[in-house]
Amino acid sequence: MTRLFFTFLAVASPAAAWAADAVSLTSTVLVERQKLDAQGRPTVALEEPQVVVPGDKLVFHLNYRNAGATPAQDFTVTNPIPASVSFTAGDGAIVSVDGGTSWGRLAALKVKGADGQPRAALPTDVTHVRWTLASPIPAGGGGQLSFRGIVK
Amino acid sequence: MSGGRWKRGALLTGCSLLAAGTDAARAAGTRAGTVIVNTATATYDDPTGDPRTVPSNVVELRVDELLDVAVSGPAADRTANAGAPNQVTSFIVTNAGNGAEAVRLSVEAALGGDDFNPTNVRIYLDSDKDGLFDANVDQLYTVGANDPLLTPDGQQRVFVVADMPAGTDGARAQIRLTGQAATGTGAPGDSFAGRGEGGGDAVVGSTGADADDDAFYALSAAVVDFEKTATVKDPFNGSEAVPGAVITYSLKASVSGSGTLRNFRITDVIPTDTKYEAGSVTLNGAKLTDAAGDDAGTAGASGIAVQVGDVSAGASNTVTFQVVID
Repeated sequence: MTRLFFTFLAVASPAAAWAADAVSLTSTVLVERQKLDAQGRPTVALEEPQVVVPGDKLVFHLNYRNAGATPAQDFTVTNPIPASVSFTAGDGAIVSVDGGTSWGRLAALKVKGADGQPRAALPTDVTHVRWTLASPIPAGGGGQLSFRGIVK
Repeated sequence: MSGGRWKRGALLTGCSLLAAGTDAARAAGTRAGTVIVNTATATYDDPTGDPRTVPSNVVELRVDELLDVAVSGPAADRTANAGAPNQVTSFIVTNAGNGAEAVRLSVEAALGGDDFNPTNVRIYLDSDKDGLFDANVDQLYTVGANDPLLTPDGQQRVFVVADMPAGTDGARAQIRLTGQAATGTGAPGDSFAGRGEGGGDAVVGSTGADADDDAFYALSAAVVDFEKTATVKDPFNGSEAVPGAVITYSLKASVSGSGTLRNFRITDVIPTDTKYEAGSVTLNGAKLTDAAGDDAGTAGASGIAVQVGDVSAGASNTVTFQVVID
């Protein structure tokens, strides 16, 4: 009963929850657009998504920051891939192709193919991405993680 | 800001949000109006070694409607007799976008570079989706009145029906069917704010939301002359039409004029009060079986049919079959 009560408190007053969590995580998404530069050469620009259609390339950024006075140890970020997005790449991430049960480098993972036999996992099989920082986030420190996907 | 807007959501409160939109994977892509929701979770150990979990904010992205249309016409010329009315060609119109979209149709018959222009050109929708034109069932199309509303990847068969003028054998007419997204057309990337399915924008796709394809009518000046004769042989070696007498019918089809008749087929019914004599069909003297699929002929209690194929002017074909008088 006590536990339930506390859960309710955390939902009802998020500010209180933040106060306890020194580390914050902010997610943003940008869309890749092909543009022509002043010389008419094609360049790729990242823009805030005003209009998004199937086939658009998305870049998800995760900004983390340790506002506390002490380092945060064993910092791990996990991001499930949204249902309508097909994963393409994640810098320095390990991935899961089974809904977050097992993890590894994509090249080392296998999934069951259409014929029932295991085959090498493809980026489109990825269900989750995860990063684990090798060193603690120092007090006042922060950084950015990112992964890419395509709107299915 | 409209359409694929994003929201810097408040803290994840562990409810709703996940149910937004559908995620059905389609050839046309994610259905317009679907909301892509992204959240991440961080875990770390605080100074006392206690694990802590921090959710990120929720990012929502609505998928806008892509406007794409495809039109596909017949690969081969439609052979039509000179002067014949109501000659039919068929097209397939496809919604290649990711939202339900009405498609506006138009047909153009007065194109340059061909030999003649068909007249009285109309568009019909294959309303009963049987692939066959039937003026009593299939709906006459009027722009804006009954534009076919197609789901993503949905298709509509469309018939173009036209009258052929008099003309020489082999003369060709080109017609063009155009399909356009009713929401709008334009250069790829053009958008119509707030006009997309599901409340987002509608964005013109790679087809310009405007597609067309051509079909050709080819005139045939070939004319068929049909001659049917019957000879009776009674059981007494006479020629009286009495019960038990065998009637041999002969159907001679002669093609004159010029040109070729495609897929020429000779059929006949078995007269009442007679029975078909099994295995009696011949084509130009050669016996055909009654079974379908093994040769050009099929026959049974109701009638006979012989698929002759392409017949050029000057050729004639004779089919015979026998019945016994009851």
